[in-house]
Amino acid sequence: MADFTWTATSPLQHATRPRRHGAAVQQSGIVLSEVLDFSLVLILARRGQWSATAKAAKEFFGAEAPAKPLAVRGKTTTLFWSGADQFYALFPRVPAAQPLDGMREPFAAKASLSDQSDGRCLIQISGPKVRAMLAKLSSLDLDGSVFPVGAAAATSIDHSGVNLWRDTDAADGSPVYNVLVFTSFADSIWHTILDSSAEYGVEVVRPHALDEKPSS
Amino acid sequence: MTGSLSLTSAEARFAAGAKAPVAPSGSTQSNRLDTGGLIDRAAPLNFTFDGKAMTGFAGDTLASALVANGVRLVGRSFKYHRPRGILTAGSEEPNALVELRSGARREPNTKATTAELYQGLEALSQNRWPSLRYDVMSVNQLLSPIFVAGFYYKTFMWPAKFWEMIYEPAIRRAAGLGRSSGLADPDHYDKAWAHCDVLVVGSGPTGVSAALAAGRAGARVILAEEDSRAGGRLLSDGGEIGGMSSREWLANALAELSSLSNVRVMTRTAVFGVYDGGTYGALERVNDHVATPPEHEVRQRLWRIVAKRCVVAAGAIERPIVFSGNDRPGVMMASAVRTYIERFAALPGKRVALFTNNSDGWRTVEAALRAGVEISAVIDSRPGIPEELRAMAEVSGFRVFNGVVHDVRGGASGISRISVAQAKGTTVEIAADTLAMSGGWNPSVGLASHHRGRPTWRDDIAAFVPGECPPGMVVAGAANGDFSLGACLRAGHAAGIAAAAESGRTQKAGSPAAASDEALSITPLWHVEGKHKAFVDFQHDVTASDIALAQREGFESVEHLKRYTTLGMATDQGRNSNVTGLAIMAEVSGRTIPQTGTTIYRPPQVPVAIGALAGHHRDENFHSTRLTPSHRWAAERGATFVDTGLWKRAQWYPLPGEKDWLTSVDREVLTVRNGVGFCDVSTLGKIDVMGPDAGAFLDRVYINAFSSLGVGKARYGLMLREDGIVMDDGTTSRLAEDHYFLTTTTAKAGPVMQYLEYCRQVLWPELDVQLTSCTDQWAQFSIAGPKTRDLLREIVEPSEDLSNEGFPFMAVREVKLRGGVVARLFRISFSGEMAFEISVPARFGDALARNLMIAGKQFGVIPYGTEALGVMRIEKGHVAGPELNGTTTAGDLGLGKMASKKKDFVGRVLAAREGLVDPNRQVVVGLKPVDKARRLRSGAHTIPKGARPSPETDQGYVTSVCHSPMLGQWIGLGLVERGRERYGEIVRAHDPLRGEDYDVEICNPVFYDPEGGRQRG
Repeated sequence: MADFTWTATSPLQHATRPRRHGAAVQQSGIVLSEVLDFSLVLILARRGQWSATAKAAKEFFGAEAPAKPLAVRGKTTTLFWSGADQFYALFPRVPAAQPLDGMREPFAAKASLSDQSDGRCLIQISGPKVRAMLAKLSSLDLDGSVFPVGAAAATSIDHSGVNLWRDTDAADGSPVYNVLVFTSFADSIWHTILDSSAEYGVEVVRPHALDEKPSS
Repeated sequence: MTGSLSLTSAEARFAAGAKAPVAPSGSTQSNRLDTGGLIDRAAPLNFTFDGKAMTGFAGDTLASALVANGVRLVGRSFKYHRPRGILTAGSEEPNALVELRSGARREPNTKATTAELYQGLEALSQNRWPSLRYDVMSVNQLLSPIFVAGFYYKTFMWPAKFWEMIYEPAIRRAAGLGRSSGLADPDHYDKAWAHCDVLVVGSGPTGVSAALAAGRAGARVILAEEDSRAGGRLLSDGGEIGGMSSREWLANALAELSSLSNVRVMTRTAVFGVYDGGTYGALERVNDHVATPPEHEVRQRLWRIVAKRCVVAAGAIERPIVFSGNDRPGVMMASAVRTYIERFAALPGKRVALFTNNSDGWRTVEAALRAGVEISAVIDSRPGIPEELRAMAEVSGFRVFNGVVHDVRGGASGISRISVAQAKGTTVEIAADTLAMSGGWNPSVGLASHHRGRPTWRDDIAAFVPGECPPGMVVAGAANGDFSLGACLRAGHAAGIAAAAESGRTQKAGSPAAASDEALSITPLWHVEGKHKAFVDFQHDVTASDIALAQREGFESVEHLKRYTTLGMATDQGRNSNVTGLAIMAEVSGRTIPQTGTTIYRPPQVPVAIGALAGHHRDENFHSTRLTPSHRWAAERGATFVDTGLWKRAQWYPLPGEKDWLTSVDREVLTVRNGVGFCDVSTLGKIDVMGPDAGAFLDRVYINAFSSLGVGKARYGLMLREDGIVMDDGTTSRLAEDHYFLTTTTAKAGPVMQYLEYCRQVLWPELDVQLTSCTDQWAQFSIAGPKTRDLLREIVEPSEDLSNEGFPFMAVREVKLRGGVVARLFRISFSGEMAFEISVPARFGDALARNLMIAGKQFGVIPYGTEALGVMRIEKGHVAGPELNGTTTAGDLGLGKMASKKKDFVGRVLAAREGLVDPNRQVVVGLKPVDKARRLRSGAHTIPKGARPSPETDQGYVTSVCHSPMLGQWIGLGLVERGRERYGEIVRAHDPLRGEDYDVEICNPVFYDPEGGRQRG
């Protein structure tokens, strides 16, 4: 019998190799990377079960379930709002474990769970020109006074639904945005981001895990 | 009194002046002052106009450089090909339209007045042949009696068929504007959003004052200015503000604005439209001022600006007076003459006369005198010319006439003389090479009127001012009819503070700067009767007599006037002509101007290139694309892809030596039917339907029952629209008591998800059910063919029972794959073969495709594409998109028996309507040509044998066709009246589109394995 290897691939695998792209500038205006190896579960509270769901989330993840457009960080998990009575849990992937393992019991009869770990790709965007670039893709007002660290939105880029939230600032003080896109759209949106970034100079840094900072 | 007026004393005085024009050595700039102006003499630029080499300076527009070079003739008019010169110095220019650049970047109808000069600029005049000076088509003037108002309607009425073939091409050749390059635009454009508390449109004294006030108050401000330089009329009109020169004040104010982090000044950005919810459209000309944009930069950017409040400080546009020869090169707006002198240090002429009906026009005299230009005369039509102006004339040594200009003489190179009819009755001829005219000022009411607010008339300034503005907008300064500098500064300041306060920003904003409050004195004068053509709309050659003719012929409403005469329909959108045109209409129709009214203002306020509206969405970026998990693998194998909505799907996988697609597809079908193949079906919509009421929910959306489906089972489901027509179909599996996995067709994935959410939230909020799309989570492949199980046994853990008993038809469960991955296995078949669908998390999709090839190698496995998939479903009579086409019922599809009688479901009631259960309806049947070598085509109509094809005898049509390698002929599905009762009948397939007509047999749509033994085996 033949041997089978199961290599996980991202649709961005060939796009995310580290390099510089676009205008040749001293400091790249945009820093772009893919975040890999995460688990993502959509938690949809059942009818009348929001409080119970939020309580279960607090106990399970150690973070407050967001009832409005926010991203809340627990120890290893980020919970971010995605609509009425629903939010995502994003946490590092545990090898050989199903993301829903262990969650079914605490959320039983309180919430429906959908594993979306492979349904989305996570793109992290930073750099001094990140707001100018995102202004081409997003209709949101990302000004710091309106969209501070921890703000989240369910919105769209290039007519495709995305979840977007602001992470803690990068070392150079630039804001950091996480853009969660549908897996099938990832390649297309990545190239749109790259095209929109070209005039500022882009540094594509190597893919990294959730708890890792991007570095080149 | 005739003959030229001698003003030798003045000439002598100005000839001695230090500021007389001096052409630098080697320079072509005969009309350039050697000091002054906002140009950089240290940065000379070379350019060409109609091939002639000229020079200008950084800071010039093409128009100002042409003025500095003494060029007067710049274009030919649209209809009569009359010689035309530069009329204005702004974006309202109707005459000086040129073709800019060359090759693929050639850009017709560019206003020389807004095109910034750059090194190497190439410009060509347009609408002339063989040259600007000798234009053959100017004979049109001799034919002018036929080129009157309504010319197109009157001349090209008959015969109608001549229009497309003869009239229109001829008119376009003779009367066209510039030529587009016909090549793909090599530049890039993009679109962006901006957000602010206060958007200020225009950076003249009002706009700068408003931006300062709002910015100091703490508001987030965007100040948008269409010019390359902020300042508006402050750049051209001199004056004092707060005890300093207006230019000094402007420099200080702009410095303060740039120091405020909450203020963004956007120059080269024209706000062109007001949309709903405080959204404004603006066009930024990012790189129009250079020959080619730097690499990676865009040419233009379209902005959507979302503002809580908007202060429109867009200023006013000076309007011409209509008199004989008012379009001759050398006749220029008085404010433009000032702009060329003050801002660009370029002299439009050496002997300037002024014709004005208001006090503001006299400022041109002051500017010209300061520059050392001879004033040959001022003709002021107002009955009482103020004494101080007469005194100035006295001191400066020029004559002032109370009267009007009634004719202008001169040729293509410009005017030489003007005839003045004095109020006292006598006529004077004056020598002048330039006539500055001022008919008053029209506030820019366009943006304020974009939500259908009608401008209101003000007698004191003889102009319209904005009426009801769009929500959140105020208009201030000259745009609101306040023409004094002091009033503009105060109005801007007040508007800025108010707009900031309404956005919740109330820090101290200081007080407005002070300046003079000299009011505009005007006595309206629209039209001077004369012998020759007097133009209202310069660009479209609409004359005063055209308007009178339109009125006589009954086109009195302004909207009719506009369409009948084409007044205001040129690229300047009537900004020079509309008010004057309707004033003349008021005059000839005996009404007042407000009674006559204005036409409707619509965006865009300035022309916007289609490229800018398209932005990034062109070529391969026209729309976003979706890729399946096995896309890269399929591409490596040389698959041909087809666009299916946004998806790219493998259509077939050609092998070396295969001569055409049919060979590849036939091979794929035969290999699957005789062995095994697999196809990526990840594009099907997948929805997790969860919660205690999930079954009850599905019972209501599907015509058949799902609450009774056992866990671990799949069922084919059909859903109807409320009107009883089929909406979509697919297989839905029950994975747990409270978890169904629903699939849709690829095309309807989005709409079905949206519809189910609607059902959940609106129709049945009482049901405890949760929905989410999981289409992208899973890589799903259909594996089909008699050797499917053999292949699966290679890749699935040996402990899994795949036998017919252990894994029966329509069973579903998780299985472990060798190597540790968990997959979902569904025993369902679309091809009619023994088949499974297998799904793994998307990140393993690529690996699964590769591993299926390894597992199936010994069985001759192949990948197959959507074409082979389609062939096999047609052979099996399975309906798909062409049959689920929005006109068919479950009964039409042969699926009527699926409908449950024990429950209610969406569409049940209306599906029972008489028309939807009519036995004569067209239903799905199989069709095959009687001549087996014949190709069947989709869209062919079925007509009874012997009947003449007509809508009355038409009984249906062919919906899906394929070449069936199993049957060795072309077959198809179709919708045919009472088709199921007519198996065996021969009808005609009539295809007028392709000119074909042949016999086909109506048959059972299940062509292959009608008993279904293969898929259950």
